[in-house]
Amino acid sequence: MGNFFNAAEVPVVKANRLQSSSLNNRMVNDYWTEVFNAKAEGKLVCWYEGVAINPLMQAADIRWVHGEAWSALLAARNNEGPAQEAAEGRGYMKELCSYARTHIGCGVLAQNRGVEASGSSFSDALGAGLLGERVPAPDMFISAYPYCSTGQQWDEMLYRLFGKKIPIFNISVPWVWGNKKDAGYLTGAEFKEATAYMVRQLKECIKWIEQQTGKKYDYDKLSEIMAYTKKAGELRMEAIDMCAVKPAPASFFDWTTSLAPVNFVPGGPQIVSYFETVKAEIAERVRVGEGAIPNEKYRLFWDGIMNWNKIGWLANKFAGYNATMVAGRYTHMGFWHEHECIDVNDPLEGMAINYLVCPINLSAPLMIEEIIKLCKKFEIDGMVLHAARTCRAFSNPQYLIADAVQKRLGIPVAMIEGDMVDESFYKDELVNARLEAMMEAIEGKKRMIIPNAA
Amino acid sequence: MSVDSSVQGIFAAFEAAAENPLASSRAWKAANGTPVVGSFPMHFPGELAHAAGCLPVILQENHEPITVGHGMIYPFYCGYTRSVVDQACKGDFDFLDAIMFGDHCVQVLGAADVVRAKLPNTRVHFYQLISSMSDPWSHSRARETFAGLKEGLEEMIGRTIDNDAIRASIRLFNRNRQLLRKLYDMRRSGTSPLTARQMQLAVKSSMVMDKAAHSALLERLIERLEATAATRQRGVRVYLSGHFCQAPKLGILDLIESCGGIVVDDDLYHGQRYISTDVDDAGDPLDALAKWYLERNLKVPCPTRVDQNADWETYLLGAMAKSKADGMIVLMAKFCEPHMYYYPEIKEAFEAKDVPHLLIETEHETTALEGIRTRVEAFLEMVKRQTIAKAAAAARLETGVV
Ligand code: SF4
Ligand code: SF4
Repeated sequence: MGNFFNAAEVPVVKANRLQSSSLNNRMVNDYWTEVFNAKAEGKLVCWYEGVAINPLMQAADIRWVHGEAWSALLAARNNEGPAQEAAEGRGYMKELCSYARTHIGCGVLAQNRGVEASGSSFSDALGAGLLGERVPAPDMFISAYPYCSTGQQWDEMLYRLFGKKIPIFNISVPWVWGNKKDAGYLTGAEFKEATAYMVRQLKECIKWIEQQTGKKYDYDKLSEIMAYTKKAGELRMEAIDMCAVKPAPASFFDWTTSLAPVNFVPGGPQIVSYFETVKAEIAERVRVGEGAIPNEKYRLFWDGIMNWNKIGWLANKFAGYNATMVAGRYTHMGFWHEHECIDVNDPLEGMAINYLVCPINLSAPLMIEEIIKLCKKFEIDGMVLHAARTCRAFSNPQYLIADAVQKRLGIPVAMIEGDMVDESFYKDELVNARLEAMMEAIEGKKRMIIPNAA
Repeated sequence: MSVDSSVQGIFAAFEAAAENPLASSRAWKAANGTPVVGSFPMHFPGELAHAAGCLPVILQENHEPITVGHGMIYPFYCGYTRSVVDQACKGDFDFLDAIMFGDHCVQVLGAADVVRAKLPNTRVHFYQLISSMSDPWSHSRARETFAGLKEGLEEMIGRTIDNDAIRASIRLFNRNRQLLRKLYDMRRSGTSPLTARQMQLAVKSSMVMDKAAHSALLERLIERLEATAATRQRGVRVYLSGHFCQAPKLGILDLIESCGGIVVDDDLYHGQRYISTDVDDAGDPLDALAKWYLERNLKVPCPTRVDQNADWETYLLGAMAKSKADGMIVLMAKFCEPHMYYYPEIKEAFEAKDVPHLLIETEHETTALEGIRTRVEAFLEMVKRQTIAKAAAAARLETGVV
């Protein structure tokens, strides 16, 4: 053995992606079209990053540009280059969050060309004919970044880049650390206090939104949006749970392409019907025993943020190893996964709770327990930890996570270095070598061979 | 502890504490029975820990190569966080009675989780300070956070801390800051030719020593310096900016001065940033600390905060003018995200005003001083020529001979 997992000899296998994911593309395109048309339709535009606060804007009829979504879109369409270069040109260094660099780079381009001259838009930002044609400049910023100081500063730098003239609202999200003995996941006095503090700030933010729009805030609309969001979150988690069977009918990679509807797409009937369709497809796969890859032999967990430049390559690579990437921290521990906490008649507290327990905002001991639960539930054989070079927020607890799952579950791990949208941080050979070693260790364990003794 | 009270003797005492902070606080604990509370930079109010009868010590990056720490933190983190993790893994912090902190730079948070995991028997407590400084609730939230910290300390010592004790600690800390600021004034005005190395030792030792003992040394030092006639220094007047959580390596400071620069002022954390602001010693102490926390950012803006009322670049241009500096050297710790974010603002503002600056990236491991030397020499040479040309132009204007 040994050679089977050698990159050169692993067959190229195409993952059996969920058909329904393609419906997601339409929703994403519609969302961007709405964003592009915002100014023409007389809508205010808010820029923000991080957790899904978009229902707050949607209820006030404001359009929103989600920074990570925008950067990821550019990367997915190989269009991130000009923005990243513009950022570098102004002195932003390569070691800074690549999402932020890409987004700020768009701001730099807009500034270079003159926001006024281009009618308050990014029309020239990415060069004629390219993707960014009509992404509008902001009328306001809302910053609500959990855990990562870099996220808060990203908003601040955009605010400064646009001459400190565009209003900004800062929501400070407390980290769920746990000083006290009663601290636990979703419980304890500190968590309660943090939730109450978040709710206070969300209320202030709504007042501020009223000032920006000059209109009374429509709480009923927020409830309506959150009802759809809650339902979508519930359906998504139910569908995720159905993947505990073997072979897993959908993979982590499928779930990454299903994030937009619970992340930045407007809340409405379409996001609910999307997850109904996804769930139905998964149910059918379970019925006939169809897997997310043709021949599932191993089941893996993905820790870390996504890497949009490499996602297709990785999905097929693991399919080639006969390994399903069944679950992940990014997809399974966030995006309205605590839908049960949302009271649609008074949704702010439930929203706050979901923001607080997003996949980076738990301190390591709490996070590790949640990860271990998932590993057990999905009967994981190995864990890949994607150390995103410029996202320390996700990379921070990875040694502790790796240590815990190795010791407590006895599963092999592979730590690979990469990035979200900066391809230059990948070294394919290194990734291959680490993955091979992990796959061999898993296989060794399966055959009850002591690792390294073969 | 008896200290040789000559200027050299006092600096030797500062150096002993600054360069071996853990040994020095361990010795203090042994001699006085005082619990030691370690903290991460940069906004921890040591006053509260002092009022609780503890010795507050700001944990420092050390000079050791990172070894065991490599197994707990990735290499693409700033030297401070990697060094702290390494020290925790090596058991260096085991003697601390608690570690408490309030700043949430994402890299420090990563280190904190590892530190807590490595010190299962130590209180590692976090009181998250609001980092958005200009919100209507910034003050009240900061106060709430300090109240939480006070409670945590009370729980640790098993009794309440009364307000008079906090006020007394505030006065003690204020006195220490005032004395250090006096040293800065003396250097800025040329009354006392202190080197950048000496200034760092003075401030850094204050972060880890008992404040009363430190102030006693400072008082003697100032007395001695005032009694000595200053020798006029020659060279390019340099302002040093940057380096937050970790002290710049002394070798780099020496190098700048050996290339013909005189460091006249700085905004380093191991410098002005640490001592810039006093706390009101009357009234409610928690209110006073919250006020201090917010004011401090207006005095010397910190890039780890977001503050609509502060501009670091504007501050720097003003500070350069005030200290009559001719050029600025920016020391940036590699991978320090807050610094990387703000640097373009500084660069743009300085270029627009035609004020020269040089960026030097520093690392925990390497001291490739030769490469840095060449760049510093070239920079200082350029600044010198520019200063002469500007002076000549000004003279021509004055005499009307253009
Ligand atoms: S570093 Fe990661 S968590 Fe922080 S702003 Fe960037 S993408 Fe978000
Ligand atoms: S502020 Fe900079 S130096 Fe301090 S911990 Fe964060 S990255 Fe490191």
